[in-house]
Amino acid sequence: MKFDTNTDELRNAVTTAARFVERRANLPALAGILISAEGSRLTLRATNLECGVEITIPAKVATAGVVAVPAAILSGFLGNARGKVVSGTVSGEVLKLETERASASIKTLPHDDFPVLPRVSAERSFTAKAGDLSRAIRSVAYCASLSAVKPEQQSVLLVGDAGKLTAVATDSFRLAEKTVPLRGSATGTASLLVPARNAAELMRILDAGGGEAEIYFNENQLSTHVGDIYYTSRIIDAAFPNYKQIVPKTFLTEALVLREDFGAALKSLSIFADKSSHVTLAVDPKEKTITLTSRNPDVGEQVSTLRATITGEAVSMSFNGRYLADSLQSTSGDSIKLQFNGAGKAILIKDAGDDSFFYLAMPMNR
Amino acid sequence: MTTTKELWENALVELELTISKPNFNTWFKDTHVVKVEDGTVFLGVPSQFARDWLSTKFHKDILRSLRGLSDTVRTVEYIISRGPKKHTDEPRTVPAPPSELPLENVHAKTNLNPRFTLSSFVVGPFNELAHAAAQAVIRKPGIAYNPLLIYGPTGLGKTHLIQAIGNHFRMSAPERKVQYVTSEKFSMDYVASLQAGKVQSFKEKYRQYDLLIMDDVQFLAKMEKTKEEFFHLFNYLHDGNKQLVFSSDQHPNVIQNLEDRLRSRFNAGMIISVTPPDHESRLAIVRTKAAAHNVILPDEVLEYLATAVEGNVRELEGALNLLLIQFELRSEPLTLNDAKMLLRGASSATKKAVSVQEVVRTISGFYGVEESSIYEKTRRKEVVRPRQVIMFLLREDFKISFPTIGEKLGGRDHTTVIHSCEKIKNDLRNDSVLSGELNQIRLMLK
Repeated sequence: MKFDTNTDELRNAVTTAARFVERRANLPALAGILISAEGSRLTLRATNLECGVEITIPAKVATAGVVAVPAAILSGFLGNARGKVVSGTVSGEVLKLETERASASIKTLPHDDFPVLPRVSAERSFTAKAGDLSRAIRSVAYCASLSAVKPEQQSVLLVGDAGKLTAVATDSFRLAEKTVPLRGSATGTASLLVPARNAAELMRILDAGGGEAEIYFNENQLSTHVGDIYYTSRIIDAAFPNYKQIVPKTFLTEALVLREDFGAALKSLSIFADKSSHVTLAVDPKEKTITLTSRNPDVGEQVSTLRATITGEAVSMSFNGRYLADSLQSTSGDSIKLQFNGAGKAILIKDAGDDSFFYLAMPMNR
Repeated sequence: MTTTKELWENALVELELTISKPNFNTWFKDTHVVKVEDGTVFLGVPSQFARDWLSTKFHKDILRSLRGLSDTVRTVEYIISRGPKKHTDEPRTVPAPPSELPLENVHAKTNLNPRFTLSSFVVGPFNELAHAAAQAVIRKPGIAYNPLLIYGPTGLGKTHLIQAIGNHFRMSAPERKVQYVTSEKFSMDYVASLQAGKVQSFKEKYRQYDLLIMDDVQFLAKMEKTKEEFFHLFNYLHDGNKQLVFSSDQHPNVIQNLEDRLRSRFNAGMIISVTPPDHESRLAIVRTKAAAHNVILPDEVLEYLATAVEGNVRELEGALNLLLIQFELRSEPLTLNDAKMLLRGASSATKKAVSVQEVVRTISGFYGVEESSIYEKTRRKEVVRPRQVIMFLLREDFKISFPTIGEKLGGRDHTTVIHSCEKIKNDLRNDSVLSGELNQIRLMLK
């Protein structure tokens, strides 16, 4: 095997592929990136058996061939490579890479053990702008649970329906939903549970690729082509909780605050908050203020008062401040709407001028 | 003919030899046979990754080893199926978590069977004390009787009662956490957590409950490490005024191998026995159960049922079910004679024959005395008591005549035997240890 290719393109491809490599894999081959040279292109493949990626870059191939190279070494070497062109030669069990100023001989891995990536037939699919899809995932993915007890809560739900794509995630303490437009309408019922980790990778690939993304799926797997990248991920066969019924429709108190004020207050309150980021919100319709308090016996306490437009009753509730702050990353407008239903009931947070996103967080017990 | 499960396990053993260890661990972990149809083995694999790779790379090996084990296998198909669900528990890292969003059934995992409630529980003199204690516990959990231990022979509604406590508690305080677990499940959980190196999450899991119900705690006595873990759990929950409810088939004082520290802790709460129901209670139970099935049986049949099937409520229910199914099958009502015919096998009057020698061997073994000394003329105290117990059981359980018993046990007079039986019968009234011993011996003789 012998090839020449553009250094930057190979570096980018290797960096992307390396994210899919699991370091502590059972199977040694999975610690590597599979590079196959054929025709006028190189194909790089990496997988952790949860999700996988195949990246194609143009190359001048003198001799076709396949080789598996440890991802860490390859990306480490290319990260510091200079010059426009890198050329590779495989002899025996060694891949020799030559750049302008350096050359490296890398011991390869047995490539026979490297699995093929699953392909998904094109029967069921939906299409969205890569930017939209990535935004939908980004807006909710942080709500997914880290614990593996409930796989459906460790995932992002994507529902394609009537020209709209809805992304939802919850860890049972908070929930976020974001809706973005689809291109055309989904074929078949599109409702997929993508593990949050895999969804994050998909998001980065969408960001890098741009353009449009058509997602193909069956009961077990989804895949997509974004630019020169083929991406595939396992999807989870579990029932997502029927969350629509817990989203409140009416409210006792509604408050409108400047997003920036609210964010700054939460940030500085976090210095004083205790381990559970306990923050108390007191909404006063008469004074037209929201008072936020956090207290830590070891540090001290802080009180912040925000101007707000308030309708409804006065209310005072405690929340995890981190949960409240998390919601702000998914809103972009100037002001946000906080909606309350009294003690023990969840708070609903929305962008004041944008209905495509909402965030639901439960109050704390105390 | 081997089962499909064995077939695949044998195939895996072969495959493990031919395929490198990392490959085997990566691809064959979590595989199982879903079904076998017309010579096609449907292999369940965890993901499409595994499906695609197994079918391209290892198909030949798999087919070869399966064919080697069974001639009928023609081909192998791969389907994605996760098989039996695995439980992975991770410790909750969020301290003082806010209350959760009411996503349906989030906390339905109490293990409780909603069928068991107090309203479906038939109360009689034999269990009214236990019933009253259960009600007290429901009213004042953690305060009234903590721990509450209900013991008695099998099939008398212990599980029903303790689950009913859980069900009522859950209804009155839905935000509190209830867990019903058998001692066996508890032990398995513990062992699994040890293997996975997650003892901490095991501890946290059980320490979060406001009401812990454990069935059949007598089995804990045999499990050394579990017993220790249980002891710590007990202390933790009890110190936090969390309610503990247990059932056992014996009084804790007579459970063998139970450590004193556990025994005294059980004794610190309320220990209540349920005894086999008397005739009136049996009649009441039969009536309630029949009514629950919307069937009206003639009084004489019910009466007969209550008389013929003694003791165990579960057997009583079984016998009743036997009658009910007959009632459904035929259109005419059941007569007393029909019932007698049907229940001939079920009636507890038929005891299996046991040789006197066997009884003597079992009981002398239980008390740790020489078998031969039972037959001798000695009146040493440690021999006299077992001998009396033997006579009592031979008479009560096996209906052997007094003179025969005397003759078999070293040529004793029948009056001696009568005296022994009376003595034990009297002692039983106020000696719970003795009755526990008898229960245990009866189990051993079964």
